[in-house]
Amino acid sequence: MSEVNEMGCAEFADAAAELALGVLTGRERARALAHLDRCEECRENVRQLTVTGEELVGLLPAIEPPAGFESRVMERLGLGIPGLVSAPAPAPALAPAPARARRLGPARRFGLKLADWTGGGGGTGRGGVSRPRRMLAAAAVAAGVVVAGLGGWGLHAATSSPATSPLSSAALVTASHQTAGQVYFYDSGSPWLYMSVNIGSRSGTVICQVEGPDGHVTTVGSFQLTDGYGYWGSPAPATDGPLTGARLVTTTGTVLATATFAA
Amino acid sequence: MGTASDELPDETLLAGLGAGDADLALAFVRRFQRIVFGVAITVIGNPAAAEDVAQQTFEQAWRHAQVYDSRRGSVRTWLTTIAHNLAVDVLRARTSAPVDPDDLPALLTAVTETPERVAVANDRAAGLRRQLGRLPGPQARAVAMAGIYGMTARQIADTEGVPLGTAKTRIRDGMQKLRAAYLPENVDDE
Repeated sequence: MSEVNEMGCAEFADAAAELALGVLTGRERARALAHLDRCEECRENVRQLTVTGEELVGLLPAIEPPAGFESRVMERLGLGIPGLVSAPAPAPALAPAPARARRLGPARRFGLKLADWTGGGGGTGRGGVSRPRRMLAAAAVAAGVVVAGLGGWGLHAATSSPATSPLSSAALVTASHQTAGQVYFYDSGSPWLYMSVNIGSRSGTVICQVEGPDGHVTTVGSFQLTDGYGYWGSPAPATDGPLTGARLVTTTGTVLATATFAA
Repeated sequence: MGTASDELPDETLLAGLGAGDADLALAFVRRFQRIVFGVAITVIGNPAAAEDVAQQTFEQAWRHAQVYDSRRGSVRTWLTTIAHNLAVDVLRARTSAPVDPDDLPALLTAVTETPERVAVANDRAAGLRRQLGRLPGPQARAVAMAGIYGMTARQIADTEGVPLGTAKTRIRDGMQKLRAAYLPENVDDE
């Protein structure tokens, strides 16, 4: 609050790289973050430096982990190795997607590296890391909600995954032929559906409907769009055959976009 | 011949991991385990601790799959960032020096001359790699110590035997050059 603590852009520029790399500490870090809160230009500067720092880490060489690593990871997650252990996926639950990272304030977006990516939950996160089973239950939200911010995949037309894959995807297209997102249908033993939407600036509740092989339309659930963006997943309803399509509908029944899965 | 899951996009495997699908989760782990462990072992040095960090990384990915934002970067970069943060946390908990200065030349060589990565790297990453190789030695060391090992400017100054201001300048100048190479369209922003 005092003038002594004010950091100008020139001083910030000297510290920006350290902030981006997460190595700025103490009072200097606090002052830098305070400056970021009110300087968009410096936020962009740090964002670029952060991206560069992340890519620097990505240049590190890949190294084979010790034998059995993947089995130990699967065990840690409470999942079995397919073909060795039968471990059914946890029952997924319907839930709305959480707020996106972009909703965070600037000071939270920059210099807090994992939180920046995930919208919170940096470090070891809530609940520690030693109780995966409990987390599986508690994360009925995560389970099946299956969400991964897939809006940037850049798929432009209805596509389907390889013939041997249980995964199908299709573009959500508006009446004016604008791509408005993507729908994914994973036809496994516990089928699930995932929808990623990026449609103008609309905010509010929207409804996901799917169409079965007999043309019957089923409402699967609803979720929130914020500034046109949202994503959501759910167990897919049981049908007598593969889903043929999906719709994004307003609460008043107006169809915003449709998707058709390849036969 | 690969299986179907081997051919799926990274984001789909991540979605499957988040859903608790064993097939997709295993494919995800197999796809990324080498780079995740590579980050962890490079930063930490100790294989057992590195494996624990690598396991934690996949656990974090599973837990946070639902909030991964593809607009922010690739799944690969997201994962390596998680692994790196966890590894640096381990390093900072140690009482010993984060890095032996004698190890830095080997690290920089590995980062700038890894044939496998050169072959698959996109243009931007290749540019970053080249620029890192071109940095003056002190700047490259400062960037590696801060960016890879998470060392503060004070720690770098002590390790290198230079004033704090010099260490900070090396980090700043080195990172600005790397950014100019990685994001050349923003080079005029300075």
